[in-house]
Amino acid sequence: MELVQYTVRKLIAGIPLIFGVTLISFLLMVYFGPDKTYELLGKNPTPEQIEEIRAQLGYDKPVVERYFIYVKELATLDFGNSESTGEKVNDLLARTIPVSLLLVTPGFILGNLLGIAFALIAARYRGGWVDKTIMGLSAVGMSISFLIAIIAFQLLLSSNYGLGWFPVRGWSTDTPLDYLRYVTVPTLATVFVALGYNTRFYRAVIVEELTRDHVRTARAFGVPPLKLLSVHVLKNCMIPIITRIVFSIPLIVISGSLLLETYFGIPGVGKVAYDAITTGDQPVLKAVVGWTAILFVFAQLLTDILYRAADPRISLNGSSE
Amino acid sequence: MSAVAADLTSALPPRQTLWSKAIYKFRRDRAGLIGLGIVLLYALAAAGVWLGFWATDWADVSGPKWAPASAEYWFGTNMIGQDIFSRSLYSTRTAFEVGLVVAVLSTLIGAVFGAISGFFSGSFIDELVVWLMGVLDSIPFYLLVAAIAFSLGDNPYAMHIAMISTFWIGTSRLVRGEVIKLKEFEFVEAARSIGVGQLTIIFRHILPNTLHILLVQSTITFVAAIKSEVILSFLGIGVQDGMSWGLMISESTLEVLAGFFNNFIAASVLMFGLVMAFNMFSDALQDALDPRSTVGGDS
Repeated sequence: MELVQYTVRKLIAGIPLIFGVTLISFLLMVYFGPDKTYELLGKNPTPEQIEEIRAQLGYDKPVVERYFIYVKELATLDFGNSESTGEKVNDLLARTIPVSLLLVTPGFILGNLLGIAFALIAARYRGGWVDKTIMGLSAVGMSISFLIAIIAFQLLLSSNYGLGWFPVRGWSTDTPLDYLRYVTVPTLATVFVALGYNTRFYRAVIVEELTRDHVRTARAFGVPPLKLLSVHVLKNCMIPIITRIVFSIPLIVISGSLLLETYFGIPGVGKVAYDAITTGDQPVLKAVVGWTAILFVFAQLLTDILYRAADPRISLNGSSE
Repeated sequence: MSAVAADLTSALPPRQTLWSKAIYKFRRDRAGLIGLGIVLLYALAAAGVWLGFWATDWADVSGPKWAPASAEYWFGTNMIGQDIFSRSLYSTRTAFEVGLVVAVLSTLIGAVFGAISGFFSGSFIDELVVWLMGVLDSIPFYLLVAAIAFSLGDNPYAMHIAMISTFWIGTSRLVRGEVIKLKEFEFVEAARSIGVGQLTIIFRHILPNTLHILLVQSTITFVAAIKSEVILSFLGIGVQDGMSWGLMISESTLEVLAGFFNNFIAASVLMFGLVMAFNMFSDALQDALDPRSTVGGDS
């Protein structure tokens, strides 16, 4: 019961965020965005034709009214049809979001798990050569641009100049083997660039925890290092770890990975959203931005509930609000 | 008598401030010094381009297509016969221009917003700033940048504005947290009790005490700006005129699958060098300015 009350309160508290995200995006992407009037008209249009098209696109209404139409669409989650392809926006998202998820999830999970693993090893041998090597490699990884990593991995693994094991570009999930063939190179590039940042972040969190009194006490009582790290340290590090992971989720679900999708020609939602901005496909834009804001509110809710699970001392009704 | 006094003073440790300790520690950090040295070399190269000493021929189509590295074309030529060495040298200037503009302005905006919202924490102004930061954080970065770039049309600073509009948030959050702590200190109470105005307290008394945060944040933002430029230029919403490592790398995507790597390698290696050196410098700066760590200590 406490949880239900809390959820409702938290969702209501999320309304200002949704309002802000939709308002700013609406102004930027819709009001100041590309004007499609003349794209849809033939040569030498009459003023009446221009009027008609503007009315059809909704350009003739005042800004406030257009924003409230958007809010209504958001409330009913019905954004109409894409202006570019005529496809229903919700169908378009339902088709492209799973592609993006399949594309980025393996890299996201591996990047975080390996990051935590390396961070634990580095923290375990803090100050020694193992730690210095891991942190040095992290710094190198952090200095390499994602685009460079993508091109390098494609060259080494997919092209005729390298091993040529994987397809150069494209996407297919017809069979698990196809999926594996297409997802491997993007995943490796993702893990490569994420690992440096993740390892560094998690190591800082773990080292901070290692200096606490309860860890020193446990060590004094002779708890073996591995148990110390996994039970006494990692468990207490869960709060920052949860925050980092959960808040990445909305961006992954909705924006996918624009760069990977553009570079490899993968039909995911990141590419759809980007094309919608460049062509001014307003229904798609409105849906993408609206969904991101809603997911962020849910991510906030989820982190709070997970905090509670990770640390029973945190009260959902408490002063943490 | 005076000899005793002299002995006493020489026995006292030298006056230690955050900055004198930081300089002492930084000068002992070998990686940080190497990083700073490399960054200064790049800065020199960029200044030379800016003053017109070299790389003035970056746009000339002078050589044969895809020439290999030679005495005339140090890094070879690209697909239309332009000298890759000049182009990558010229791009150093672009990198510094983007990095400096974005880092300085984001840090300034972050400092002002963070200080005001931290000083008035809990008030309506604070809630407004915190709300704005949450909202901007919730819009996917590349979509926001693309939207700003398109709404500004052909403005050559569209990319800078887009980056600044998101990069100030990190600095602002840190400054806000620090100011909330600082405003409870006695020196603030003392200033208030002698009738110093609120704005003077914020900008003359409190904000200078966050300078160490601002310095570190501006180096982090500099690196972030250079790295974002590459991806934005590839997506077609980056540098509009001129040349940059990002433009060179996106140009090279047409070449690498045909087996011509010069463009790609030149831009990647030069960019990696600057970013890596800047990261090393930034880390050393962070360690040196961390008030919690002690001289010589490793924590």
